[in-house]
Amino acid sequence: MKTMDALSKLRRNAAFAPGALDRGKAKLMAEIESQTAPLPRPTVVPQLPYHDVRAALEFLERAFGFRELTSSRVEDEHGVVGHAMVAFGDGLIGLGQHGGHGTSSPKSLGGESEYVSVYVPDVDAHYRRALAAGARIANGLRDQFWGDRTYEALDLEGHRWRFHQRVREVPRAEWKWSPSDD
Amino acid sequence: MSSPSDADLIGRSLAEPEAFGGIYDRHAPLLLRFLGRRVGAETAEVLAHEAFRIAFERRKSFDSSRSSALPWLYGIASNLLRKHRRAEARRLRASARMAAGNEAADRRSSAAALHARVLLPRVADAVAALPEPEREALLLYAWEELSYESVAEALQLPIGTVRSRLSRARARLRELLGETGKGRTRSR
Repeated sequence: MKTMDALSKLRRNAAFAPGALDRGKAKLMAEIESQTAPLPRPTVVPQLPYHDVRAALEFLERAFGFRELTSSRVEDEHGVVGHAMVAFGDGLIGLGQHGGHGTSSPKSLGGESEYVSVYVPDVDAHYRRALAAGARIANGLRDQFWGDRTYEALDLEGHRWRFHQRVREVPRAEWKWSPSDD
Repeated sequence: MSSPSDADLIGRSLAEPEAFGGIYDRHAPLLLRFLGRRVGAETAEVLAHEAFRIAFERRKSFDSSRSSALPWLYGIASNLLRKHRRAEARRLRASARMAAGNEAADRRSSAAALHARVLLPRVADAVAALPEPEREALLLYAWEELSYESVAEALQLPIGTVRSRLSRARARLRELLGETGKGRTRSR
């Protein structure tokens, strides 16, 4: 057997996963949109610390549907992401390095010091997506006394996220709050 | 009406970014297969996305005298493969085992099957051990069936350099396998 024949025998027909093309197209078009759409400029922008910003970005996109504004990413020559921005609707959140600006990741803190509320169009569908992506559910789906339906999940480093959908209007006089509510 | 060339689409995407989606539609299947051959379907999907993202960002620098964007995309993808040498070597060895099994099933002569079983893993290891620039040129040429011109375009090299890399790569493999004389070359 000649060398080049042997080489061609090592060539495998590579099939790609069904759906890979469509997934890739959707991701690319979202990327293109995020690069060309003007940056949202909300007045208040929370900044969350992570030990591994890159992993956090991947997870927030996959599990919760955030989209990175890739043109804002700051990265060193080893590929360590120092800071990045993610958007959801007209909201914006910064992800930075643990330890920067006096912040600590819950992973080191041993607990959360805050949580972030995010309004989504379909909280049940959002819950299923997060669950499938391996998010830890801290509080399951429930209807709240003020008219939201919510659940809470923890991300890779333990930041807590609460996802809400407005499902009904409840007059303030009918609100029933007890300290045991979560 | 004939469809627009890749250069037309990329040119248009400077003002209308979403036109770049047409480049994806045309070339993503080949790129996914190329990357899949090298590192497996799962990593291929991640790398293909990365490649198209980079291509989009660099679309201004696309040489509009080229009619096809494919060599340019192969070049970007080849660059991304550099970080995946170990996955590639593993895959090559697995391919060698599979191919040797097929040979054994196809051939009556057990001597030929034995030869394949010994030879193919050696070729796989030899390919994995080739210096990066030579391996890349060789596999673009031999597996993706790119012309010398396209390999040169992909790797941004003069065509003479591509020729010399390919002949060095072949010579190294032949030497490793104790083969004498010139191997067959593909005419195109």
